[in-house]
Amino acid sequence: MSHPVLIIGAGVAGMTAAVELADSGIQTILVERKTTVGGNALDLYKAFPTDDCFYCFEGNRWRPGIRKCFYRSALLDQPNLVLKTNTTIKEISGEPGSFTVVLSVGPQYVDAAKCIMCGVCLEHSKAFDIVSPQCQPQAVTYDPSKADDGAKRAAEECPTKAIDLDAEPSEETVNVADVIVATGYHEMQPVNIDEYGYGKIPNVITQLELAQMLDPNGVAGGVLTRPSDGEPVRSVMMVQCVGSRDENYYPYCSKICCVFALKHANIIVLERENISVSVVYMDIRTYDRHERYYREAREAGVNFIRGRVQIVRPSTSGGVEVVVYDSLLDRYLRFDADLFVLSSALEAPEGGSEIIKALGLRESSGFVAPANPESEERVIVGDHVYACGTALGPAEVPESVTQARAVVSKILQSRRG
Amino acid sequence: MAETDDKTGPPVTLIEPIDMTKLDPNFRKEIQNMPDGDEVNACFACSTCTAACPIANQWKYKPHQLIRMILLGMREEVLSSREIWECLTCFQCQERCPQGVRVTDIIFDLRDLASEEGKIPDAVKFLAKELLEKGQLYVVTADWEREDLDLEPEVPGLSTDEFKEILKRTRTGKIAGGE
Ligand SMILES: Cc1cc2nc3c(=O)[nH]c(=O)nc-3n(C[C@H](O)[C@H](O)[C@H](O)COP(=O)(O)OP(=O)(O)OC[C@H]3O[C@@H](n4cnc5c(N)ncnc54)[C@H](O)[C@@H]3O)c2cc1C
Ligand code: SF4
Ligand code: SF4
Ligand code: SF4
Ligand code: SF4
Repeated sequence: MSHPVLIIGAGVAGMTAAVELADSGIQTILVERKTTVGGNALDLYKAFPTDDCFYCFEGNRWRPGIRKCFYRSALLDQPNLVLKTNTTIKEISGEPGSFTVVLSVGPQYVDAAKCIMCGVCLEHSKAFDIVSPQCQPQAVTYDPSKADDGAKRAAEECPTKAIDLDAEPSEETVNVADVIVATGYHEMQPVNIDEYGYGKIPNVITQLELAQMLDPNGVAGGVLTRPSDGEPVRSVMMVQCVGSRDENYYPYCSKICCVFALKHANIIVLERENISVSVVYMDIRTYDRHERYYREAREAGVNFIRGRVQIVRPSTSGGVEVVVYDSLLDRYLRFDADLFVLSSALEAPEGGSEIIKALGLRESSGFVAPANPESEERVIVGDHVYACGTALGPAEVPESVTQARAVVSKILQSRRG
Repeated sequence: MAETDDKTGPPVTLIEPIDMTKLDPNFRKEIQNMPDGDEVNACFACSTCTAACPIANQWKYKPHQLIRMILLGMREEVLSSREIWECLTCFQCQERCPQGVRVTDIIFDLRDLASEEGKIPDAVKFLAKELLEKGQLYVVTADWEREDLDLEPEVPGLSTDEFKEILKRTRTGKIAGGE
């Protein structure tokens, strides 16, 4: 009885669905276009709602699925699960319940099952890299565009013979009964929103970029410095709803950017010395239990300014001069910020629309939409096609994981008797 | 054409924005350290206080704006505002605030701070002087009401002398009795 399930995307949602299906005895193919799994949850440092570090979720061991390193062995060692990294979907045909899918498998330069992360190759060549100490699979990556003389030597000296520099891309056809779309989201690059100067004015960054700067395992070891000149950051200004709730860009509320902006503000004010944070907002939308982040942020002295940004330009001190209209005071305020952080919209991932088209799914602002808009079963997006996590629209990790489990239970139910 | 000092920078805004570096970021701490100010940071600008206030429709700075100004560090403007003195101290704002900000008590604190710096409106100063001089704000006079009620013209046994003595040595004495 082999009716495999294909899962597209190995973020927290795809990984959860894959491991739980495989554990239930179902053949599972997990396809990920990057060289490592984890998706957007990599490099986020601390996670709401528990404030655990994304690296190990210490206080949260009982809660499987939202832990980045939890599936270390399962992803490689679970016999029912085939993980294909560096792989995309080329073509989908066939009938619901019996899809034929052509996979474009990128060159597998490093055999993840063999690599022991000894680091020998890293010493010889810049083309090898460890994406994250917790990366899954636990293996180095190889970027052929950076190939140098050392690469050959690395291949020769690799103690486990894990490196194949001549690896070629290939194609593979699989037959699957069900498809799960878990392609996640992408943080919008607000280059077209002129008023914020992103990509033009130095020290204007996005929240995801800030998360990576705050990450103790990041390049700067978690110390906040100005990207332009490396000077220590003394003041941070954030602006909410960049590209969200805006008919010129995305009409929807990205739902979690208020919470992660507050999370970042609290980390900066409470864990770093002498850095002030101001947040410019229209509404602070902290749903559910996340309201506590808002209260905490205010108590910690984060400055909240209701209004919008009027002018952004480089300041004489090397930071960013920001003039804000404070609509509660009906006054204009001028700030000198070292970092200007945009809470940019969460949009559908690149290539998402091709998958939606290939499977004939409904779409909503670029994200996958439920097959029946009236139904509460949001995860059912087609006949034998499911979606979970942020592929369905902005969501936090716990919600993504819950949806992944809903998909697993739907598939298991559909196969009973 | 002769040299002019034409600026080629961005256009000048008509009304200069408030320069945050010129404000006093410690003002909120100062208020927090006053007896009733520890919750001031919790304010989330809902403006419930202003909705509750019976007099704010007369004011330039509404109660929620005064709290905003404290948080932003607009010390000078808050302490010189007439609003803090015109507050009726009815406690409506404080009773209704959903975040436990003691708005009225903070207004008392603001008056104290303003007084310390001599920022007292003349009318209030006048009242304080009256108090110092007479030992009471509303002097009981022999009038027809007392007569109708069969009361003696003077309040029996009322002596304000001791009270005046005490007042002289309080802050009221220092602030209003000075010159
Ligand atoms: C700045 C920031 C901070 C955040 N902080 C928190 C937090 O503290 N707590 C919290 O709960 N949530 C947080 N989130 C949200 C969290 O990132 C998401 O909820 C979670 O990562 C969603 O996981 P996912 O699996 O749905 O999608 P993703 O993580 O986006 O994973 C999708 C995967 O699919 C792959 N993929 C996409 N398209 C294809 C394709 N065509 N073929 C093959 N593979 C494909 C992608 O490469 C990716 O690996 C934060 C988000 C941001 C932006
Ligand atoms: S030398 Fe081989 S085993 Fe060691 S890190 Fe590189 S690829 Fe992995
Ligand atoms: S979550 Fe907050 S910042 Fe994000 S779109 Fe909604 S209101 Fe704006
Ligand atoms: S009612 Fe309280 S929380 Fe609301 S604006 Fe007034 S002080 Fe702030
Ligand atoms: S106490 Fe003062 S500010 Fe508060 S409601 Fe009464 S008059 Fe308004």
